[in-house]
Amino acid sequence: MINVNGLYHAYEKGGPFAVKNAAFKVEKGEIFGFLGPSGAGKSTTQGILTGLLPLQKGEVTVAGCDMKKPKREIFNKIGVSFEQSNVYGKLTARENLNFYSKLFDVNTVDAGTLLKLVGLDHVADKKAGEFSKGMKHRLTFVRSMLNKPELWFLDEPTTGLDPAIASQIKDIIKEENNKGTTVFLTTHNMFVADELCDRVAFIIDGEIKLIDSPRNLKLKYGEKMVSVEHNEDGKLVKEQLSLIIKEDQDRLKTIISRGNIEIMHTKEATLEEIFIKVTGRGLK
Amino acid sequence: MSKLWTTFLKDAKLSFNGLYFYIEIGLAFIFVAVMLFVVPENFESGQKINAFVNLDEPIKSQIEEQITSEDDSLLYDSRTALEDSLEKDRSAVGIEIKSNGSGEIIYDFVLQGYENDRIKSLLKSTVEGEFLSSIPGFESSVSYDVLEPDSQRLTDRANILPIYLTINVGLMGLFIIAAYIFLDKDEGVIKAYAVAPVKIWQYLAAKMLIMLLMGLITSIIPVLMLAGTDVNFLLLIVMVSSFNLFGSALGLFVSSFFDSMVKAMGGLYAAVMLMVLPSLSYFAPSFNPAWIKVFPSYPMMFAFRELLLKNGDTGYIWMQTVLFLILALLVFFAANLRFKKTLTV
Ligand SMILES: Nc1ncnc2c1ncn2[C@@H]1O[C@H](COP(=O)(O)OP(=O)(O)O)[C@@H](O)[C@H]1O
Ligand SMILES: [Mg+2]
Repeated sequence: MINVNGLYHAYEKGGPFAVKNAAFKVEKGEIFGFLGPSGAGKSTTQGILTGLLPLQKGEVTVAGCDMKKPKREIFNKIGVSFEQSNVYGKLTARENLNFYSKLFDVNTVDAGTLLKLVGLDHVADKKAGEFSKGMKHRLTFVRSMLNKPELWFLDEPTTGLDPAIASQIKDIIKEENNKGTTVFLTTHNMFVADELCDRVAFIIDGEIKLIDSPRNLKLKYGEKMVSVEHNEDGKLVKEQLSLIIKEDQDRLKTIISRGNIEIMHTKEATLEEIFIKVTGRGLK
Repeated sequence: MSKLWTTFLKDAKLSFNGLYFYIEIGLAFIFVAVMLFVVPENFESGQKINAFVNLDEPIKSQIEEQITSEDDSLLYDSRTALEDSLEKDRSAVGIEIKSNGSGEIIYDFVLQGYENDRIKSLLKSTVEGEFLSSIPGFESSVSYDVLEPDSQRLTDRANILPIYLTINVGLMGLFIIAAYIFLDKDEGVIKAYAVAPVKIWQYLAAKMLIMLLMGLITSIIPVLMLAGTDVNFLLLIVMVSSFNLFGSALGLFVSSFFDSMVKAMGGLYAAVMLMVLPSLSYFAPSFNPAWIKVFPSYPMMFAFRELLLKNGDTGYIWMQTVLFLILALLVFFAANLRFKKTLTV
C-alpha cells in the first residue's frame, strides 16, 4: 500500500532535516504505526505521504500512485485525519460532513451514521465552532471515514481525548482494519502503538531506528522486569529492576534481604522502555 | 464543475456568516451616503444660475431685479461673458433671456453638457414658475444650448464613481480574497480540502466567484444610487466582472508568496497603492505621464468613466474588458501553479 525509500525532508532550504533517509513498507491490511516523541518527524512523514508537503527527495508510492506527481483521484481511496482538528467552525457538524462528501466521486457514508459512531449525533446541527477540542477532534476523525477509505492516515488519533472516548476510537480503528482497511498511524503513546499496531517504526529526530511488531520487540529487547516498592529509612521507594542485568540482580537481592518490601511484581517491558533502550530517549 | 459549485455554495454560506461580506456592503452604503449628503450633485436646490438679460428697457430691469433677488444668481452683460463664467464654474448653468422681436420671450439655457432630461425639465418649470408670472403679457418659449455638445464632464458625484469602482475592485480582489485564503489556512481546513479528490483550481475559483458576487453587489448599488438608471447596466456588469476577476486573481497570486496575512500585508498594500496611483491623473488630467498608464487601474478608471459619460466610447470599454479577462486568466493560471506547491505548506 505504501512504499517509501530514501525519503528526506527539510522545511527550509539547507535547514535541518525533519525526516532523514526514511525507508519502510506498509502492507495491505495492516496497521502500521510511527511511534516517537513530539518533533520526531511523524506528522511531516504523513504530510508527504498525503501530498500536503512536497516530495523533495526520495521515492514514495501510495496506493499505487507515485507521490512525485500525485493524481487527485487517489484521494477517493484515501482518508486522512489530522493531529490538529480542522473543520469549518461556522458550519454545523452535519454540514461539515455533507459538504465534504460531495467532494468525492465514490459513494460516501451517511453523515448521521458517522456522527452517531463517535457520539456526536446529539450535536449534529450545532456549529462546530462551539465544540470542545475533543468534539472537534472526533469530527475531524469521522470526516476521514466518509469515503470508506482503503488506506487510512491517522495522525495522533487519540491524543487529547479522555480515556473512554480514546478507547472508543481505538475500537473503531480495529473494526475498520478488520473490514480490510490499511492504516498508517502516528502516535507518541506506547499503549496505542502496542494495542493497535501490527508493526511499529521507532522514529526520533527524523530517523527510523527500527521496525518490528510489538510482540517481536518485546521478545527481542524485552527483558523480565521487576517492579518493587520498599521502605528505606522510613521513605517509600519505587524501583524498576531488570532480572538480566547483573547490577539490578544484586540490588534486588539486597532489597529482598532487608525484608522491607511492600509491593513487588514482575512485568513485561513496555514499548516505551524498549524505545528508551533503542533510541536512548523517552517518548515525552 | 459540480465540485466547484459545491465549494462555492459552502464559501457563500461561510461569507454570509462572516464579517467581510457585511463590511463590504456597509462600505458601499457609507460611500453612497457620503456622496449623497456631502458632495452635491450639481443640480439641486441652490442651483447657481448665471444670467444675461438681452432685452430692452424697461423689461430688462424688471427681469434683472427678479433674478438678483435669487441668492445664487449672477448677472453678465454679454453672451461671451456668460459663457466664460460657465467655463470657470462648471457647476453653474446659464440662461440668456432674449426677445425674438415679435412679442415672444425666449429662455435660452446654456448648459454644461452633462445635464440630463430630468434637470432640463426642472429648469424649465423653475423659469415658468418664477419669471413668467412676473412678466405678464408675453408669450414665451424655452430652448437649450449646450456649451460642449459631447461633454467630457460628469457631475461631481458621478465623477468620483470610477475611482470608487476601481478601488472597490482592487481592494476586494487583493485584500479580501487573501484574507479568505489565510483564514482557511489558519483554520487548517485547507488541508482537509487538499486531501479530497478535488483540484486546487476549484478551490481558488470558488473564492473568485464569491469575490465576483460581492464585487457586483457593491458596484451596482452605488452606480444605481448615484448615477441613476441611465447607465448601461449590462455593460457595467460585464466590466465589473472582468476587472473584478483580474483583481482577485492578482490577490491570489500575491498571497501565494506568503504564509500569513501579516506577512502578505506589505505586498498587498503595495499592490493597492499602485492601483490607486492613477487616480492622480484622473483628477488632474495634466499629470499624465506615460508610465502611469501601465498600472492596470488606469484603463479601468477611464473605462468606468466612459461608461458613465453620455456618449462614452463603448469600443474602449469592450477592449479593456476583454483585455482584463485575458489577463485575469493568465494571472489565475500562474496563481494556481504556485498554490499547487504552497497552499498546504
Ligand atoms: N511548518 C514547519 N516549519 C518548520 N519546521 C517544522 C514545521 N513543522 C514541523 N517542523 C519541525 O520538523 C520537525 C518534525 O516535526 P513533526 O513532523 O511535526 O513532528 P511530530 O509529528 O513527530 O511531532 C520538528 O523539529 C518541527 O519543529
Ligand atoms: Mg505530529
